[in-house]
Amino acid sequence: MRLVRVAASQRFFVVLVLLVALFVLFSLTQERFFTSANIEALLTGASILWVVSIGLTFVMVIGGFDLSLGSMLALAGVAFAAFYNDIGVPALPAILLTLALGALLGGVVNGMLIGRLGLSFLVVTLGTLILFRGVVNLWSDTKTDQVLSSLLDGLAFDKLVGLPVPVWIMLATFLVALHVQRSTYFGRDIYAVGGGQDAARLSGIRVGRTIIAVYAIAGMLAAFGGVLQVARIGAASPLVGDAIIFDAAAAVMLGGTSFAGGIGGVGGTAIGVLFFAVLQNGLSVSGVESFWQQIITGAILIAAVALDRMQRDGSISFRRLRRTRAET
Amino acid sequence: MPEAVAEIDGTRTDAPVLSARDLRKRYAGVHALRGADLTLYGGEIHGLCGENGSGKSTLLKILSAQIAADEGHIALGGSEARFADPTEALAAGIATVTQETTLVGELSVAENIFLGHRKARSRRGIDWRATRRRAAEVLARLDLELDVTAPVGRLRPNEQQMVEIARAISTDARVLILDEPTSSLTDEEVERTFRVMRVLKEHGVATVFVSHRMNEIFEIVDRVTVLRDGCVVGCGPIADYTRDRLIHQMIGRELEELSLHAGGGGAHDAILRVRGVSVPGKVDDVALEVGRGEVVGLAGLLGAGRSDLLDALFGLRPDAEGDVELAGRPVGMRDPRHAMRSGIAYVPADRKRMGLVLDMSVRENLLMAQTAPLPRLRRPQRSFEQSAVDDAVSRFGIVTASGATPVVRLSGGNQQKVVLAKWLATEPQVLLLDEPTRGVDVGAKAEIYRLLTAAKDAGVGILVSSSETPELLLLCDRIVVMYRGRAVARLSRREASEGLIARYAMGHL
Repeated sequence: MRLVRVAASQRFFVVLVLLVALFVLFSLTQERFFTSANIEALLTGASILWVVSIGLTFVMVIGGFDLSLGSMLALAGVAFAAFYNDIGVPALPAILLTLALGALLGGVVNGMLIGRLGLSFLVVTLGTLILFRGVVNLWSDTKTDQVLSSLLDGLAFDKLVGLPVPVWIMLATFLVALHVQRSTYFGRDIYAVGGGQDAARLSGIRVGRTIIAVYAIAGMLAAFGGVLQVARIGAASPLVGDAIIFDAAAAVMLGGTSFAGGIGGVGGTAIGVLFFAVLQNGLSVSGVESFWQQIITGAILIAAVALDRMQRDGSISFRRLRRTRAET
Repeated sequence: MPEAVAEIDGTRTDAPVLSARDLRKRYAGVHALRGADLTLYGGEIHGLCGENGSGKSTLLKILSAQIAADEGHIALGGSEARFADPTEALAAGIATVTQETTLVGELSVAENIFLGHRKARSRRGIDWRATRRRAAEVLARLDLELDVTAPVGRLRPNEQQMVEIARAISTDARVLILDEPTSSLTDEEVERTFRVMRVLKEHGVATVFVSHRMNEIFEIVDRVTVLRDGCVVGCGPIADYTRDRLIHQMIGRELEELSLHAGGGGAHDAILRVRGVSVPGKVDDVALEVGRGEVVGLAGLLGAGRSDLLDALFGLRPDAEGDVELAGRPVGMRDPRHAMRSGIAYVPADRKRMGLVLDMSVRENLLMAQTAPLPRLRRPQRSFEQSAVDDAVSRFGIVTASGATPVVRLSGGNQQKVVLAKWLATEPQVLLLDEPTRGVDVGAKAEIYRLLTAAKDAGVGILVSSSETPELLLLCDRIVVMYRGRAVARLSRREASEGLIARYAMGHL
């Protein structure tokens, strides 16, 4: 009961209920849905969106947005191929180099321009969205570069203790992010800056540095998504990632993190991403055409946010469950 | 009522342009106006005087139909006037210019003057040539020379105000309400505004003028009406008034003895030394000292530079200049973090935006400043935090369900106690406070005074700015009065009185 109360007090409660309902519905109606092979495919397919969305969550909690993450993802793939194929860096150092590049571009370019110069995050990340995409096309000559690496194959397709490696990666990313969010002063700073930048600055929090760190984390996680993408398709393609930012934004918002900043978190984002994964997988298992999936996904996103708004206005209420607000 | 009832003003025999009788207004049970009268004649400049909260704004808002009176009558040109909204009042000839600009910066002077009215039209749409010509005519009536094609945003503040006045009279207003039009202007700009007011007077317009500056009232006004506690306590030609009589009527009570705290007094070794601090356009060469365990008050009208001075001392104004010393060591006015490290704490006036992160918990807000210097990847220690929160809650008497309650759910007084506790937890040597009891109920007010006294007894130097003079008289060992960015008077507790502070604050030196 306590667990239900805790869940009910969260902003992602509505989506959590929808997720469970959807899962039960597909399990009962589609016999090909609730099989271990399908659930593994469902989770593995969501892993890239998962890591990108977690990075975007921090950016949105701090009151910003990062449009450039899709381009960053593609850029990371091309960079990894360059390190690994052209320069001959071994796979593991090449991955680390790629992650560092993502953190650097996110922190130094996006973060500095937004956090130090105070430019609008929409302008800056729209600029880098285009700019990074240009670099990708120039660097790759718009050609897909095949990548043959046993380490990468392992990342995408191996199993560890009965679970696919991507699922372990998702779990690890999530737990680290949750730890940073809940159990460090940095995590608090993110909420303080997002909820009241002036009050945070007056309290002695380094606002600019916090913003830079958050965009660096988002850039690094997008680069990680780029590496996972290369691993999945066995090649670095300049075409990947051009729409992932919309899916990620939808998942983050479904999870209760708002554009206004200061509220939400990675817990909700995990549920948002899972919701999308279950919805899309379930619909395609049911044989629903993929365009219908888009229509349903879009409608549900708007409905979930509207429901959350009405609930907080008091138009509808889950008060009996919420009466005791759990200690966090 | 200690004062004689309003004098009947028998100096005018012609019919008034506007006459308001027995206006009453209550907000949530609180009387803002309890039967106020106002009579305006054509071709006069009428000063409306009163302290903050005396009911001036309420009266003016009723006249311009921004709010409706609970009771009372308004007659305009002899016939009963009832307006549903400001647009109707404007159409009937009552125009208002407030401190907040309502101009559109990107549009030209001419467009702004006719904003909301019909511009001259031709068959192909708006006739711009005719619009500009008519705008120029309005400006000519005011003896103003402004380029009607210039974007309003490029004009200086006083020129923008002229455009507002021009817009107000472009509708052939009979009554013009000017609510503190001079508060942000330089002396020279004030003169230009006065010139326009005199021109309007010749045209027969009745102007209501509000200003907190005594010398402006005595320079420009023909008659005054004085409000106090929602009642008219005086009315008559300005010739019948002296400055002292006017201030006395505004403040009312013969300066009663306030029960001051014991202690303090005597020599303090200065902990905070401020010399030659200026913020361009806001603060002008201010010097002051605060001793260990001393409370120094900053008095002055809104816009006198009190908040800007405190902001500058805490490093929030990068354009500030001057020398600040804390316990003998120089402190640069760089940024809040630097000020904190030096031992300064700041309780700002805007609690909801600057003081607290409203969506965060009481615990997180209480510890925000204290933990800011710690390494950011460290884990907050739950047991330490819990005891710190419990301690603050009991010591400061914060009423909250738990430490995890979002601070937005707390009452104003409890929110302010959280801000105070947050800063005292940093163990500052100097505590700056701006309007520490704004929006706080009486009980919490007393408690905040008690906490400040405790901090003072612990040796903290306190510099507190407040619009409420009685509060300063209660708390402070010394009071510095600011007027238009300058520190114009330094009063000891024995010298200080409401009347004296009001005189200095209004620039009557």
